[in-house]
Amino acid sequence: MNKKLHPEIIKHFHSTTFTTPIIGVTGGKGGVGKSTIAINLAAAFVANGKKVALIDADVDAPNDSLLLGIPLENPEPVTIMQPVFDSDKCTDCQKCVKACQMNSLFRSREKTITMMGECNGCEACYLVCPADAVGRGSHSVGTLYTTRRGDLTLYTGALQPGLAESALVVNAVKKAAFADADNFDIILVDTAPGTHCNVIGALKGAGHVLAVTEPTPLGAHDLELILSLLDMFAVQTSVVLNRSDLPGQQEKTEKTGRAGSVPVAAEIKLDKDLLAGYLQGTPVVELFPNSSAAKIFLDLADRLAAAWPDQKTQAKTKARQEQL
Amino acid sequence: MKEIVILSGKGGVGKSSLTAALAHLLTEKGTRLTLADTDVDAPNLHIVLGAEFDRSRAVAASDKAIIDYEKCSRCMRCVKACAFDSIIGDNEPIIISYSCEGCGVCALVCPEEAVSVQPMENGKINFVTSGAVRVVAGELGIGESSSGRLVDIVKREARQEASLNGSDLLLTDGPPGIGCPVIAALKGSDYAILVSEPTPSALSDLQRITEVVRGFNIPAGAVLNRNDMDEKSARITRDWLIRNEVPLLGEIPYDPCLPQALARGALAVNMYPDAPSSLALRNLHKVVEGLLD
Ligand code: SF4
Ligand code: SF4
Ligand code: SF4
Ligand code: SF4
Repeated sequence: MNKKLHPEIIKHFHSTTFTTPIIGVTGGKGGVGKSTIAINLAAAFVANGKKVALIDADVDAPNDSLLLGIPLENPEPVTIMQPVFDSDKCTDCQKCVKACQMNSLFRSREKTITMMGECNGCEACYLVCPADAVGRGSHSVGTLYTTRRGDLTLYTGALQPGLAESALVVNAVKKAAFADADNFDIILVDTAPGTHCNVIGALKGAGHVLAVTEPTPLGAHDLELILSLLDMFAVQTSVVLNRSDLPGQQEKTEKTGRAGSVPVAAEIKLDKDLLAGYLQGTPVVELFPNSSAAKIFLDLADRLAAAWPDQKTQAKTKARQEQL
Repeated sequence: MKEIVILSGKGGVGKSSLTAALAHLLTEKGTRLTLADTDVDAPNLHIVLGAEFDRSRAVAASDKAIIDYEKCSRCMRCVKACAFDSIIGDNEPIIISYSCEGCGVCALVCPEEAVSVQPMENGKINFVTSGAVRVVAGELGIGESSSGRLVDIVKREARQEASLNGSDLLLTDGPPGIGCPVIAALKGSDYAILVSEPTPSALSDLQRITEVVRGFNIPAGAVLNRNDMDEKSARITRDWLIRNEVPLLGEIPYDPCLPQALARGALAVNMYPDAPSSLALRNLHKVVEGLLD
């Protein structure tokens, strides 16, 4: 199903209104260590004197604040439009019921329109109503948090449990961070697992993406999926191989990377310092700055800052984007 | 027939491996079961089972807007009307199909009747046989949306398959997270098994998924995987489960046999029946068997 995307869509994906570089951290499979890598990379950039925005766009399971050990602050609701029906004005034409593709509207016996199912705020009911009986209310689908600690600002989106509107919360958290983009030297985005539209939404604008994986058959399988997604959008990508010494199939993962000509940016072994930081809620870069795990992140941050992998690859990606 | 769904909130806590091992142990003891893989973003139950697809069928899981450019007058009203920013363009409207929700607002505002909303094939249902177990697995096209609707289709197909082969149990491997596909996987289940591991992140995700499951009034129990990872976090998780009256169905120790077996496309419960994780899984499977009565 590797459809070719319209070149305008690819251009739109890469367009931003600011120049601060965006680095995405993703990986098809859940639990491969995306968040661990994102928060440590953020800490490494800070240690290197950069002002960093970290966007936790895994709105179903946002854990970056736990891993950083900083409690969430400044909650703001993420709201969408939700119709309010005025039964005095309603002429019972039922056009709204027909227009709602979510099949959420019902006409009850008292001839009033009620909302029974999910509403995504599309406004179709509002637009079709001939009697001006639909008003625009609002309804909260999640919470946005902005937490500042020194040179690091964490933007977290949290979907309200029981609701389905992950994509809207992802967009809201990105919008909030992008509004402050000029205050940062670098923006990091930690995505949800998977290869669906939320991940694309989270990565929109990223100049470089780290695809995190582990050397298991599941890791290799899901890496292939995420790499083809990133390829569709012509995104500059490199692989981070986590738990590289797991008994498994490192060769296969490396082969997948090579097949997509994607370089391995870093290799991280099972590491007790890293695990200690994870359990304790402190980046290993802060907890044990001289450990070998910390050095990997500090070094990766250096290379990314210096427009890693190299000018040639960048020029190639750029040429491809322009060609499209 | 009973329906049990395995969920975790957090990805990578061993949900698929656990599903596969339980399925194997239950069939060994004579339970007839069908598996549904509803992690449509990254379906990999078949990899854990070391099995191949028998057949696949394309399905339309989404409705998407399509523009007829012959009719379009380039008035750009649709671009402004779309609440999901799914139409872009300066001189000509272009639909970003992957984020289009199929709401039909663009069609409503279009003065030229140039837009229609049509079903689009963007997923597959794969059928897999592994020994006596049939698996119905959904697979969403890369970069597509509407995983919730695809999960609905997978569950419908799996129920059909289960009733055809006379299953006592439909065991569903759920997607990670708490959003729309998770809710679709959960709906209609008799019981939810929540897999977690002893880390602060996994506990936070366990709390969120418990809230969702409770919201749907579905009884649930927890499994603590890799329980020896961190003693302190394990204790906190157990305490939380007790305080919130979520029964602990079982605990499974970390076991290097698991990745080893996985790398060979085999199940650890088969390959290493006496390994610590295999013994723990046997205990757990008895508990799950008890849920079926
Ligand atoms: S806003 Fe859209 S989804 Fe919500 S009730 Fe109206 S038509 Fe239905
Ligand atoms: S479209 Fe307006 S007038 Fe018609 S049923 Fe709906 S609310 Fe009432
Ligand atoms: S159907 Fe709805 S979401 Fe899709 S392009 Fe039209 S207005 Fe936007
Ligand atoms: S509203 Fe209709 S005519 Fe206007 S730009 Fe959109 S598709 Fe074309």
